[in-house]
Amino acid sequence: MFLLEALKKYAATDRTAIRYREDMLSFAELDRRSDAFAAWLLDTFGDDRTPVMIYGHKELDIPACMFGALKAGRGYVPVDTTFPRERAAQIAEEVRPRVIVDFYHMGLEAETVLDDAALAEIFSSGGEPARGNWIAPEEVAYILFTSGSTGRPKGVQVTAGNIASFDRGVAPWFVLPEEGGVCLNEISYSFDVSVCALYYALSRGMTLYTVDRAALNDTPVLFATLRESGISLWVSTPSLGELCLQSEQFRTALLPRAQKFVFCGEVMTCKLGRQMLERFPGAKVYNAYGPTEATVLVTAVEVTEALCAARASLPIGYGFSNLRCEIADVETGRYLPDGKEGELLLLGGSVSPGYLNRPELNERVFFEENGVRGYRTGDLCYREAGLLYYLGRLDGQVKLNGFRVELEDVESNLTKVSNIARAAVLPVCQDGKVTGLTAFVLLEKPDGLPSLKRAKQIREALAGTLPAYMIPRKILAVDSFPLNTNGKVDKKALAARL
Amino acid sequence: MIDTIIEILNGICGADEGEITPDTELFEEGILDSFGLVQLLVELENQMKVKLDPAALERVQLSTPAKIAALAEK
Repeated sequence: MFLLEALKKYAATDRTAIRYREDMLSFAELDRRSDAFAAWLLDTFGDDRTPVMIYGHKELDIPACMFGALKAGRGYVPVDTTFPRERAAQIAEEVRPRVIVDFYHMGLEAETVLDDAALAEIFSSGGEPARGNWIAPEEVAYILFTSGSTGRPKGVQVTAGNIASFDRGVAPWFVLPEEGGVCLNEISYSFDVSVCALYYALSRGMTLYTVDRAALNDTPVLFATLRESGISLWVSTPSLGELCLQSEQFRTALLPRAQKFVFCGEVMTCKLGRQMLERFPGAKVYNAYGPTEATVLVTAVEVTEALCAARASLPIGYGFSNLRCEIADVETGRYLPDGKEGELLLLGGSVSPGYLNRPELNERVFFEENGVRGYRTGDLCYREAGLLYYLGRLDGQVKLNGFRVELEDVESNLTKVSNIARAAVLPVCQDGKVTGLTAFVLLEKPDGLPSLKRAKQIREALAGTLPAYMIPRKILAVDSFPLNTNGKVDKKALAARL
Repeated sequence: MIDTIIEILNGICGADEGEITPDTELFEEGILDSFGLVQLLVELENQMKVKLDPAALERVQLSTPAKIAALAEK
């Protein structure tokens, strides 16, 4: 696999692979630790290919566990600690891992649970498994769990071959004029945009500069961190860009080496594009798009003044050269010409083999056409002069700060909270971008609480089952729900109350 | 000033009239997080032409409506 090859190549240099706070991990050490972890997996579990689950945040040793799993011919399942224990346990039930690396002693159960001390011991024992053990292109390299409309997370399986295809597709867009450099590593490992740093950047000998949630929640610390980062390639959600732009300090003087800014994971507004061009006149800015099911990114476009001026919203870009993008009629499935709105279908080597344990869903959204694997994105788009434009979702999924949220997932978990009979969740939008969630709840019996106090209680209950980003900021009690003719909650009528 | 700030916050989190007071601890109460803070700062700029730099301000300096108002009035 290209990344594992690259680790060996750069292990012979003195380059730094990952920086996290005061700590640095060289390529040599990353390669050695991942070898040791792989050797331990092979010694302990033999040829068993069950994926390794990793429950943590941005710890320095997470990539060594990921790549160690790959070197032992098995995949990994990264679960960020924004996922509460109960949701992580649901994921473990789906995956049935034999090994869980549990950085925060969250008490998950498996045959072997490793904490950081146990991991350090494994790393110190050494070993170097033969390359014949490495993950093969058709094997699942990672499984990422995203919000599922049933109220339980669903796992997208991505093969080593899918990642290689993504890497080839994205390379012309990400390439920097000089070798090496520093890539921002801020995205949670359970969100696939982190694959840009882990695979694209590391395989080119770049250093990952890690920013964790604590820094993100403390803006002065975030800026102090960025100032000394030397970042040359920035990949983040538009939301992080908007947060940073709130400070006048966010400009070339703060990141003098920044050459490319890539925004993806949610709608990028023209306003963000214009501000970035103004603040970083020497850098290039890109908008990119892709679903986890087709491996991170599939389209990109360079953002220019002209592009920002042309329309109210930015295009999501041109399809990567190694992938086919088609717009299909939502009713008939027939491919449509330019200018017509329809569902975006993706066909090519980066399309996932499917969701874990969801045969019916796989049947519905994945397909084969002349031997090429395809995925129905559920995104309503149109194409003009080669550029794809995103119009919205065909279902109840929204992107919030880059995270995928199925509104039904939040609703289903809300109705499990005591005294809530029914719930409806709506996205709150600004400039066409989702900025938050509002929940309307119908109580079983009046609780006499003021709105904020009730909302706080409900949020605390939800925090036991949902990751923080899925918890609505605003929770309003209603006496009744407006219903449409099908007896379903009329969300349009509800939106009018916002 | 303080009334406008509270009004903006009510809009962000859906509090009833009078629930958020000048001394409500916004982060502790779960009313604001990093991205909620951005929304508040954007609204302050839009509605009151006040620009606060989050990179220069510790979270504790922005923890209540009264503290935010004091900064905005400077």
